[in-house]
Amino acid sequence: MRNSGAVLILTFIAKLILQAAGVSPPGKPRLTSCRSPEKETFTCWWEPGGDGGLPTTYALYYHLENSETVYECPDYRTAGENSCFFNKNDTSLWVNYNITVVATNALGKNISDPVEVDVVYIVQPNTPENVTAVVVHDEQGPFVRVSWEKPRTADTRSGWITLLYQLRVKQEKDKEWEVGLKKKRKYIPRERSLWIMITIFSVFIVLILTWTLNVKRNSVKLCLLPPVPGPKIKGFEKQLLKSGKSEEVFNTLVIQGFPPTTDYDELLVEYLEVYDNEEQELVLDGKDLSEDCMKSKSPSDSDSGRGSCDSRTLLLEKCMEGREGSGSGSDQHQYSQHGETSWASTESSESQGPEPGSPESADGCGKTWPVVFSSPQPQTHHHYQVGAAKPAYHSVPEILNHSSPHTTPSNYHQLHHQDIPQQEGRFSKPACRHSQSYNQFNLDGVGTPAPGVPPSPSLEYVEVQRVNPENMLLLRPLSDPNREPEGLDCAGEDYSKVKEVTNNILLLQRDTSHQCVDYYSQDLDNQADQCTTQQPPHPCKPAVHQSNSRMPHEGMRVMGNGYVDSTVLMPSY
Amino acid sequence: MTQGSRLYFAVTVLMCAFVSINGVGLNDLLERASQLSDKLHSLSTSLTNDLDSHFPPVGRVMMPRPSMCHTSSLQIPNDKDQALKIPEDELLSLARSLLLAWSDPLALLSSEASSLAHPERNTINSKTKELQDNINSLGAGLEHVFHKMGSSSDNLSSLPFYTNSLGQDKTSRLVNFHFLLSCFRRDSHKIDSFLKVLRCRAAKKRPEMC
Repeated sequence: MRNSGAVLILTFIAKLILQAAGVSPPGKPRLTSCRSPEKETFTCWWEPGGDGGLPTTYALYYHLENSETVYECPDYRTAGENSCFFNKNDTSLWVNYNITVVATNALGKNISDPVEVDVVYIVQPNTPENVTAVVVHDEQGPFVRVSWEKPRTADTRSGWITLLYQLRVKQEKDKEWEVGLKKKRKYIPRERSLWIMITIFSVFIVLILTWTLNVKRNSVKLCLLPPVPGPKIKGFEKQLLKSGKSEEVFNTLVIQGFPPTTDYDELLVEYLEVYDNEEQELVLDGKDLSEDCMKSKSPSDSDSGRGSCDSRTLLLEKCMEGREGSGSGSDQHQYSQHGETSWASTESSESQGPEPGSPESADGCGKTWPVVFSSPQPQTHHHYQVGAAKPAYHSVPEILNHSSPHTTPSNYHQLHHQDIPQQEGRFSKPACRHSQSYNQFNLDGVGTPAPGVPPSPSLEYVEVQRVNPENMLLLRPLSDPNREPEGLDCAGEDYSKVKEVTNNILLLQRDTSHQCVDYYSQDLDNQADQCTTQQPPHPCKPAVHQSNSRMPHEGMRVMGNGYVDSTVLMPSY
Repeated sequence: MTQGSRLYFAVTVLMCAFVSINGVGLNDLLERASQLSDKLHSLSTSLTNDLDSHFPPVGRVMMPRPSMCHTSSLQIPNDKDQALKIPEDELLSLARSLLLAWSDPLALLSSEASSLAHPERNTINSKTKELQDNINSLGAGLEHVFHKMGSSSDNLSSLPFYTNSLGQDKTSRLVNFHFLLSCFRRDSHKIDSFLKVLRCRAAKKRPEMC
């Protein structure tokens, strides 16, 4: 008790004496900063807390986060006073350093607060080196060029650290610095050289392509611009055109069989169906006409266009003069003369008497009639039907009656026909302003054919003039010289040409020519020649008689275009 | 020169151009990847600063030690000499492994950020979301780099993260949030460093780049 009290009093007195002397244990040191300039080494600095009047030593101790081993600072000198320098070997990255500084003097020691340091967070590069600012005079004015180099210690080549530079400018009298960020763009030259390379390659490729195209010039031209075939007209020869003979040229352009009459006829023509059937009755039997015009008694035709009996729609101009009373004398010949009347008018004409022939008032190009005629056979009545505007040519049967010239006192037309279906194309419309069509119809006489008359079908056209009171069609061949010629281009197409008339038999020539230009001489003696004078495309086929040189029957007139007007003969019936 | 030989020459030149262009493509990829990783690290640093602005002193005491990070088991180079000796594909796989290890933890951080007991919660929340997006982009980019580099094997290290929640009370949640973020900050720096080394390594044909 006495001793402890004595010690206490002595210690107190010693402290008083030391305080009077000014010495104390060291103050607590403090770590101020740690820095790594290149992420490879680092340095820590501390400040002493006070030495207490006695010489004090400082020691830095550290340990890593994952171990308890305490190490002392390896280098106190390199970085100066109160510093500790960690070289490469002592530096570990991404590891926390727990650092403390201990100050020691004669009276005691003092330990600083521990500091946790991760080296990568304390990286501060050194300053750029060789910084120079030069004033340069240019045509745009003076400017300052600042140049520098990277700090020596910074290893940017390997990418270990990446440096960003920033320029700070201040005028001499200013207090504040202006800052502009200048990134060191080292990769721009790389991009530029890439573009240069690309340009060179593309130029090279273009050169190669151009050279290739040049070599293959012709085939490329053929591929891109294929030759366009010039227009070619069948039958047309350029030479002819060049030679200047337009007529020949245009003649070659004419197509046989054109224009097609089928459509045309559909619009305008009602076809007369003539049936070669003994059971049939002539439609011109008045009542029959009106009642039975829808009837078809032809077994050969089941779909003829016999819808309309109304042939008003079939208004066709008559291009010839009417023939009055030139119907056949006998019942075998029946003519019908139609103007703007329908078939029904035929019966009316029958009842009313012969038509005054108003249609006959030829007004220039008259109207054509569907040419119908009946066979002169007394027993045979042919049912005429007005077909609708349909190519019902086939419905017209052969009606050609051949009666012995001697048995039948009347004249009748001996028409050679062809099967209509074969002749559909025959109904071509003449190129004239008036629609003219003559039905191509076949009359096949049931009677005995005239001697020498071959049963071979041929095509003739006969114009029906009127129907006489005896229900006979008065036919008149279109070669009637009394007819006013309508014109070269109108008259020729569908007319039948009379070959000759012998024994009251009118022999018509098959005329397939569409040319109207050919005129037959009035002298039937020249019929043979007429044949040959036809247009070449359609060779004439003299149908009926071999004796071509017979004179027409008395009373027969041959019209200018080669057609015979046999109406002169008619009054004899 | 015949037309055929000229054609062959043109084709060869084209192929050379293509190859060189392809190499440039890898450099571009790595450039973009290192820019992304840089942004990642700077975001995490700013997040850490935001958290530190109002951190309870007791939290510092409670803070787990950095060796407790779930990625601490990955063997990485600790200094420059070691790092520069590592081959490129290994560097890439290190970066990709680290990146992969943080996709789940960042999802956790993102979900917890909105309910953090911190005055800077909103800022922290948005930055955490941004962090998550950048991680996904960088992951995709590194996949491209991997395919472009044509490495034979894909030796990614598995660094599982088993924690499901940050804690029960708000203080521990805050402390754990801070701790996870600090681990991520360090790992993002590792990724950035490795990618930048890789970037300069791949462009060794053009030394002026680095």
